[in-house]
Amino acid sequence: MIDERWLQALGQELARHRLTPEMARHVVAEAAAHLRDSGQPALRAFGTPQRYAAAVAESLASRHHPARRPPGRVRLRASQITKRYGRRTVLRPTDLTVRAGEVAAIVGANGCGKSTFLRICAGLLSPDSGEVVVDGVLGYCPQDGGTYDFLLPEEHFVLVGAGRGLDRARSRRLGRADAATLQWEPAGGVQARHLSGGTRQKLNLVMAALGDPDVLLLDEPYQGFDRGTYIDFWQHVWRWRDEGRAIVVVTHLLNQLDQVDQVLDLTPGSREVAA
Amino acid sequence: MKLLTVAEMALRELSRRRGVLVLLLALPLLCYVVRHGQVGQSIRFLMLGLAWAVSTAALFASGTSRHIEPRLRLSGYRSHHLYLGRLVAMWLLGLAVATPFFTLVALDHGGEVRLGALAAAMALGVAVAAPFGLLIGALVPRELEGTLILLLTISLQVMIDPADSITRLTPFWSSREIGTYAVDHTGPEYLARGVLFTVVATALVAILSTIRLRTRLHLRYAGR
Repeated sequence: MIDERWLQALGQELARHRLTPEMARHVVAEAAAHLRDSGQPALRAFGTPQRYAAAVAESLASRHHPARRPPGRVRLRASQITKRYGRRTVLRPTDLTVRAGEVAAIVGANGCGKSTFLRICAGLLSPDSGEVVVDGVLGYCPQDGGTYDFLLPEEHFVLVGAGRGLDRARSRRLGRADAATLQWEPAGGVQARHLSGGTRQKLNLVMAALGDPDVLLLDEPYQGFDRGTYIDFWQHVWRWRDEGRAIVVVTHLLNQLDQVDQVLDLTPGSREVAA
Repeated sequence: MKLLTVAEMALRELSRRRGVLVLLLALPLLCYVVRHGQVGQSIRFLMLGLAWAVSTAALFASGTSRHIEPRLRLSGYRSHHLYLGRLVAMWLLGLAVATPFFTLVALDHGGEVRLGALAAAMALGVAVAAPFGLLIGALVPRELEGTLILLLTISLQVMIDPADSITRLTPFWSSREIGTYAVDHTGPEYLARGVLFTVVATALVAILSTIRLRTRLHLRYAGR
């Protein structure tokens, strides 16, 4: 790997590990100076950018992780939600309360009602019983779909932004900025139908978060993401949490569950919230 | 503003479907050409082709937005922004499709027809066709069923005896009759009937869209 590309990749990886831009620049500059002085190839001197960034992030973790703010007021309260499709019970009485500055993960086997529960929380589907109280503005990211095939990404930003009361220029600017943090630069003239599955999901995610909604409901939004973008996605989630938003993520990937504030397992027989 | 943004995006989306645009123009043209030898017949068929094309476009526009409108509702749009925005887009599209055909007939038979009545017939045809297509889209969630219903309606209008009283219930009858008036002599009551049909179809679209996109009873916003 050419050193310049290695250094660039290191910068991206450091950002994914939530180092501040100043600290990331400092680490990259030090690595560049070492490579220049030693004359060694970057891979031999430091290994892969991913491993080196992880090592740096670990050593700096105690100093640079911002302190968590205590959770704020209740933003979403779902009480005694039940749902049946014909004879099949999809949701038995289910409760979930999420406060500002909290992340809740909804997990469970296929068909256990994760997406159904999220759609009920978003008000897109009626439950058979129960109620949902939302304090603030909702943002919703579906599992797939949710975009117009023949519109450009920036037109999607304008469309959603207009609903949120943003003018066109601001909608485009915010959309582009959010897209950049997911390592995506919406190219002019590329319609949504020509985007890859992962990039289309990035578009979906940017649309959901546009206008800073207070409650974000995300239904497996990372489908099709590559490894780096997947990490970026979770960094987004932690940043939103730190900004005081309430986030509910439907997921079947368990490696992030130790970092969320609560886990709602909808697998039949294990219906409970783990804090 | 929100309504206009919806209309603009619907038009942008449709305008990029070049194949669809060609077919939208081809359908009325074919209807006109096949009866070109008879002035009255060709204009009546042109009206029907125009209405068919616009209502089909509206039906498919309704289908493509069905999965996106709920998230737009969450993004701050009200139901009426969505269905009226789409309706405005379909009316504009219909007028854009109708304009070259009006010019064609004016050049072709300008001395034989009442051009004012022809313009009214075309405008009324578009006015009725757009909400009619959206109405089918609102009633039938799947595009295949919607297309078949539309085909059934058009076929009925083509095959039915014009003297039969049931023809007055078909959606494109009024524009057909005003098209007839452009060539022959018929009463002005068809204009009123066509406007009434437009209003009723739009109202039904509004009711169905509002029901589909309603805020569900179980969801309550604190402080509202």
